[in-house]
Amino acid sequence: MLVIKNLKASINNREILKGLNLKINPGEVHAIMGPNGSGKSTLANVLSGKNGYKISGEVKYLGESLNDIPVEERAQKGIFLAFQYPLEIPGVNTNNFLKTSLNTIKKAKGEKEIDTIAFLELVKEKAKELGIDEKILSRQLNVGFSGGEKKKNEILQMKILDPNLIILDETDSGLDIDALKIISDGVNSSRSEKKSFLVITHYQRLLEYIKPDHVHVLSDGKIIKSGTSELALELEKKGYKKLN
Amino acid sequence: MNENFKISSSEIKKIKPLNQKEKKIRLENLKLFNQQGFPSRNQEDWKFSDINQIFSKNFKNLESFKNKIKPKSINFIKEFDHNHILMVNGKLENSEFKFEDKSKIKIKSYNDSNFSINNEENSLINLNNALSNNGLFLEVANNYRLEKAIIIYNVFTDDLKDNLLNNKNKIILGKNSELHIVEYNINQSKNKFIYNTIENIILNENASLKTINLQANQNEGFFYKFSKGKMKSNSYYSSFIFSSGPKFNKIDAEFDLEGENCDCNIKSALFIDKGKHQEIKTKINHLVPNCKSYQKIKSVVDAEGKGVYQGKIYVKDIAQKTNAYQLSKALLLSENSEFNSKPELEIYADDVKCSHGSTSGSVDENSIHYLMTRGLSKKQAVQLLVNGFLNEIIGDIKSNSVKKFIENKIEIQIHGY
Repeated sequence: MLVIKNLKASINNREILKGLNLKINPGEVHAIMGPNGSGKSTLANVLSGKNGYKISGEVKYLGESLNDIPVEERAQKGIFLAFQYPLEIPGVNTNNFLKTSLNTIKKAKGEKEIDTIAFLELVKEKAKELGIDEKILSRQLNVGFSGGEKKKNEILQMKILDPNLIILDETDSGLDIDALKIISDGVNSSRSEKKSFLVITHYQRLLEYIKPDHVHVLSDGKIIKSGTSELALELEKKGYKKLN
Repeated sequence: MNENFKISSSEIKKIKPLNQKEKKIRLENLKLFNQQGFPSRNQEDWKFSDINQIFSKNFKNLESFKNKIKPKSINFIKEFDHNHILMVNGKLENSEFKFEDKSKIKIKSYNDSNFSINNEENSLINLNNALSNNGLFLEVANNYRLEKAIIIYNVFTDDLKDNLLNNKNKIILGKNSELHIVEYNINQSKNKFIYNTIENIILNENASLKTINLQANQNEGFFYKFSKGKMKSNSYYSSFIFSSGPKFNKIDAEFDLEGENCDCNIKSALFIDKGKHQEIKTKINHLVPNCKSYQKIKSVVDAEGKGVYQGKIYVKDIAQKTNAYQLSKALLLSENSEFNSKPELEIYADDVKCSHGSTSGSVDENSIHYLMTRGLSKKQAVQLLVNGFLNEIIGDIKSNSVKKFIENKIEIQIHGY
């Protein structure tokens, strides 16, 4: 699904990723843990195609190099980033935005666009699974949403857009236990042989709910240790410092 | 330096019938105009919109229009029931009040010849006094509230070219009356012309006037409208200005709040596309206590476009308990976009609540990125953000059918960007 070789990324002449290697097979869930400033969010941004980074190395998605693929085409090809801080977009209705997004992606894939009625049914079903009050979907995108509502809205978008590679950037931050459980259930019910997940987190807590196949420790722009979910438990006990 | 634009006195002879006294007044006004020329940046009120320069650049010759041509077919609004008035090149053609008690509405072609001869600071007023011979007079009787809105179809015919149209409108609302107007501009001309309107609005006690001014097609027209309003006690005025498409548009509104408990609102959403120039200028005069005024101006400026907001709130010493608010927000889509804002407060009373603010900035790159990670192209993302920015104003329209109609028109403009 995703192969990263010797990925380096710098911004404003400061190198943040310093030669990162990672391979994710279809159906796998990988977790990346690391202290503040280790480059976790940069990795998420770079994979999404965000402008402003100077990049070297290679990122291949489904066998194709992503190096020259712009943000929207990555999304159209099935890469989805759930933001750590979803942006508030004033004046833009959540449902209208979601429908535009879904139809743009469908169009790019050569699929038939969805009509309003079918779309609303789809949203209703997915929102219910995530315990999202339908009313907020007719409000402005993320404006006035609580932290939990914003994160749930990200997962709702993931479910509706139906991507192949899902990057969850600290989706657990700012969530209470109930919201964390709902969101994890939402992710778990989406797991399939065709989908892969990259779960970025500070804490082992999320990994109790979303069980990873592999855990990696990111430190100073490199993966310094990889293992199974046991590694996450070990980190929780000893902290990041002991690993260095 | 540009030579002042001179208008020939032969233009006045085209106005018929014309008695000697009227002719003299018009000639005097034309003389005053020709001495000054079009307003230029040397005047404070025109410092960001130097029309002397703009008009000189775009016109070599200007001729009054004789108004003989019929418009091409017009797409009348079908989305909601309404009364209608058809104006062609500023001249009243016909009107229909299907939903109203017709005895309560007076409508006629307006040709006010009792105008003055003053050396106006704004030479466009002298020009208008010299040459206007068309317009709309509309009066609503006391205690009459119209059932449906009036749509004024303001059609400009396709044969307009290098023409100068001068018009005067007058709208009077009787005590306790209510009227909604949608002024819908339809421009069939592909050529350059100037439309110079002076509008007088009188709102008597307890009257309520809500207007929407919609300019939403690409055109080469140069528009100037001066609205002068007088508000008696407990009257209500709200104006929505939606403008995108004209080459030049300046709306100049001055309202005198003369009676207590008046409420005056001006909201606008401008989309200024490539190479266009638009200005909103307001002056709200709080002359008595206990009145409210509210202004919110949102502008989106594309490359090489220019937007201007000049807003003044004047509060007279006796106008205690005034509550006045003024905010301008501009979104610049390019490094070559320009927006000038001059908010002003002039307050002589001590127990008032007045606030103003002005911001301008470019589109948030992080918001664009967020939308693009959902598959939208950069253009789609910017369009969505622009739409969202202007939607805040459109969202304040109470009637859902009117709101939908306007939303649609503006979206079409933005998507052409």
